[in-house]
Amino acid sequence: MRNMLLVARREYLEQIRGRAFRFSTVLVPALVIALLGVSAFTGRKMGAGRHIVVAADNAALASDIRSSLLDDKKARYTVDVVAPLTDEDRARLLARVADKSIDGLLTVTGSASGAPRVTYTSVSRADLMDTSLLKTAVTYGLLDLRLTQRGMTPEQARSLVESVPIETLQVSKDGKTGKSEGMAPFYKATFMTFLMTMPILLYGLDMARSIVEEKNSRIFEVMLSVTRADDLLTGKLLGVGAVGLTQIAIWVAAAALLSGSALLQPLLSGDVKIHFSWLEAVFFPIYFVLGFFLYSAFFSGLAATCETAQDLQMYVSLAVVPTWTSFAILPFLLNNPSSPWVVAASIFPPTAPLVMVPRIGLLAPPAWQIALSLAALLAAIWAVIWVASRLYRVGILMYGKRATLPELLRWLRYS
Amino acid sequence: MPVVELEAVTKAYDHKVAVHDLSLSIEAGQMFGLLGPNGAGKTSSIRMMMGITMPDAGRVELFGRPFDRRSLDRVGYLPEERGLYKKMKVLEQLIFFGQLHGLPREEARHRALDWTTRLEITAALDKKTQELSKGMQQKIQFIATLLHDPGLVVMDEPFSGLDPVNATLLQDALLELKARGKAILFSTHRMDQVEKLCDSICLINNGEAVLSGRMREIKSRYERNRVIVEFEGSSDFLKCEEIAEANNYSGHAEIKLKPHGDAQKLLHLAAGMATIYRFELVEPSLEEIFIQTVGGKADA
Repeated sequence: MRNMLLVARREYLEQIRGRAFRFSTVLVPALVIALLGVSAFTGRKMGAGRHIVVAADNAALASDIRSSLLDDKKARYTVDVVAPLTDEDRARLLARVADKSIDGLLTVTGSASGAPRVTYTSVSRADLMDTSLLKTAVTYGLLDLRLTQRGMTPEQARSLVESVPIETLQVSKDGKTGKSEGMAPFYKATFMTFLMTMPILLYGLDMARSIVEEKNSRIFEVMLSVTRADDLLTGKLLGVGAVGLTQIAIWVAAAALLSGSALLQPLLSGDVKIHFSWLEAVFFPIYFVLGFFLYSAFFSGLAATCETAQDLQMYVSLAVVPTWTSFAILPFLLNNPSSPWVVAASIFPPTAPLVMVPRIGLLAPPAWQIALSLAALLAAIWAVIWVASRLYRVGILMYGKRATLPELLRWLRYS
Repeated sequence: MPVVELEAVTKAYDHKVAVHDLSLSIEAGQMFGLLGPNGAGKTSSIRMMMGITMPDAGRVELFGRPFDRRSLDRVGYLPEERGLYKKMKVLEQLIFFGQLHGLPREEARHRALDWTTRLEITAALDKKTQELSKGMQQKIQFIATLLHDPGLVVMDEPFSGLDPVNATLLQDALLELKARGKAILFSTHRMDQVEKLCDSICLINNGEAVLSGRMREIKSRYERNRVIVEFEGSSDFLKCEEIAEANNYSGHAEIKLKPHGDAQKLLHLAAGMATIYRFELVEPSLEEIFIQTVGGKADA
């Protein structure tokens, strides 16, 4: 036990003092913030300052489309209207699009017929948001026009086609009805899955790499003459796991500090308001440590059978399986956190750490499911460490070639 | 009470028998040489003493008791394949190994400073291991092995890669440990070192002990049939019928006598033909005994 803790301490201090730790501690959140920033910035810039001309054969229609476009507060268009549209106008406006004095030209012709022709011409390719906004504006404009042509007043027509806002409410387990969090659960589940999988993946692989490196440096023979193989492996797991937790604690603390600052306010406005419950705060570190142990012990066993970093590369694709799986389950999880598949995935040990925590965040599962999931995880960790320490014990002393499957099975039988 | 005792120990990997029915015993204050060609089973035997692997059959005793991992706190092991944590600073590394062997941190630090002063590497204390030369790393590993003042020191090729000055430095340290009653086992191919340092040896080949006992006693089993002559004058005495083989290096001749060849007869003949400065009847070297015993049986 003493030696296990000494090994853990050594691993922890060496990694914490390493350049890689400092680098990733700063770089990963910087990248996330940069991505969020770019996404928020591009989201806000959508249409901002974009100058388009709506040209239609009907002036009321063109004006209606213009009002719809200007009503959208997010897409801050500057919209000019040309109606009725002549061939001369069209040629002139197209020339303006070509010389970029306007960003786009929306034309609607044949509005009186059953099949109007609508085109949007721009130099740049229209993005999805643009196309969708234009389509909505034109559809409602035409509908408005037809209703007024059938005798309704413009006000009556508008009241018919006006979109109705839907207030989303959520019933909690105790029967209280509260306001739904909108897109927040989606962001939160994605964020937590990311926060859980990335360190497990990175540190698990780091652990595997360090085993191959130490195997090549032949340190193990000295270490095995002082300490038991399973103490050595568990010590390494504890040390590297503590490094991962330290890093996450730094990120969470930094995020908490920054979330109150002006720097992140623009990014956290709107739909991106994420709140964590105490239940999540308790279970996140527990599942992180257990998930880390499970995957790292697995990778360590594999790493002990490898000779070089190239051999290890072969197993890297296995390492990303938990990430793929958790992101694949995410839509089901968001759709129905209590569906049988999601419940099974939150209990099945390899996916439990990655699914249970976001699930707790969405809708607190019954206590027995959490207990069963933790018990299954602990049992799986015990089994994986049992196998890994045997592979480790024999594998780290085997030099010369990568082990074959029959050899691995034989190693498991060695005492 | 022997410090190490192996009794009829056997270890096999798959279908290859690495060690077969090996018995040996090392007393306190004894320097013991474990010899053998490559693949003979030396490292496998040592690994069983260290609890790195377990014997399939037979018994391993350390300090008079059946093997127990706790006994390893009193053992210092320097494997053939050296290993240190490359990114760790030297002093931290030495303290870490000392602590693993049960020393309190301060005591480990104190001893590390003493040893590095003695082996003249204090300048390396604050450096990372990867920044040091191979010889320096070897010294660090040597200190890590001895820091906890073990009762048994096991060293696999302890002097490999060292220049003569540093090899002497470590050799003196080992002799001092021996004088303090420590049992020392070392495994090597360097017969001259074994001959100079060891009291007892065990020569193994194909996993089995083929020759073992005290050095004097082993050597006395072999006939003294080697003669070294330093002379001035005619070298015609080298044609003497008592001689099986002779190499003459301008006044220094190394002669192998025929079985039961008469050295006195040769001395008389030589004295009549040349001025003799040295005429020495020498016992066979350990290297000759090794080659004679293992001969063509070695694996590599």
